[in-house]
Amino acid sequence: MIISINGELKKFETDTLTVQKLLETMQFGKGIAVALNETFIMRTKYNETNINDGDRLDILSPVQGG
Amino acid sequence: MNNRNDKWILEDKEFDSRLMIGSALYPSPKIMEESIKASGSQIVTVALRRQSAGEGGDNPFWELIKELNITILPNTAGCHTAKEAITTAMMAREVFETNWIKLEVIGNQYNLQPDPFALVEATEVLIKEGFRVLPYMTDDLVLAQRLADLGCSTLMPWGSPIGSGRGLMNPYNLKVIRKQFPELQLIVDAGIGKPSDAIEAMELGFDGILLNSAVALAQEPVMMAEAFKYALRAGRLSYQAGRMQERDMASPSTPTVGTPFWHQFN
Repeated sequence: MIISINGELKKFETDTLTVQKLLETMQFGKGIAVALNETFIMRTKYNETNINDGDRLDILSPVQGG
Repeated sequence: MNNRNDKWILEDKEFDSRLMIGSALYPSPKIMEESIKASGSQIVTVALRRQSAGEGGDNPFWELIKELNITILPNTAGCHTAKEAITTAMMAREVFETNWIKLEVIGNQYNLQPDPFALVEATEVLIKEGFRVLPYMTDDLVLAQRLADLGCSTLMPWGSPIGSGRGLMNPYNLKVIRKQFPELQLIVDAGIGKPSDAIEAMELGFDGILLNSAVALAQEPVMMAEAFKYALRAGRLSYQAGRMQERDMASPSTPTVGTPFWHQFN
């Protein structure tokens, strides 16, 4: 499947992928929050949230702000 | 009135300083840290942006901010729709472990003017979701009423566009909002360029100031942060003390009784 991660397309050789598995595979840090197709996914739901072909994932972390 | 013990109750917290400071645009992380400390501010604004894969758990910026041990106010900067702002606020609540949100929904790219319609829409949803919404807004009286009706206890009208440093463009509008909403906490957010702008806002009766560029882009940010610390105190004391009445005619301050004959006019 092909999914968009932070605006970049990435191909995965699998048909079943959870948010949890993706974060581990791609080595994202702990202080992050996730949105799937512009909808917030709670940390406690990572394991049970499946990612499908064509999905858009945004993974955000703290930065400077005004 | 005991002005020496002027605690500020904002939302569900108490502060000594009425200055809220941003964490962006400083020449270096060290200068950011020193500036925040020098400002005396107990509230710092932060944001969320995309993280690159493989970065692991390291986030030196966030570690530095946490070590300051002050209140975190996440923003929704960069959002252009209510939905974007709502999603970003929810992500911020999880990452920063706070239900405070500086709600920012931009409606125009030229002057980064907040979109009042999207702001109201997002505020309504977020308050129902348990957020304490601190809306960044234009200095519009009717918008202020709508946001207050939704349950906002803090409003943050702009002084002038973000990063412009133009000070208070419409003091009249700010004054009217102050007069109409004596029970709300009012903060001038955006546009402050120098300490005297902050004093002007505080003398209008505003409860606090949120700024970033005025310190971060100063020639000496740490020194400017300290200048703002004193400016807010001066402005607040001035407001509480109550200024003298303006007069058209001069009035001598030195006693006129006993004036020697050579100073007397016929």
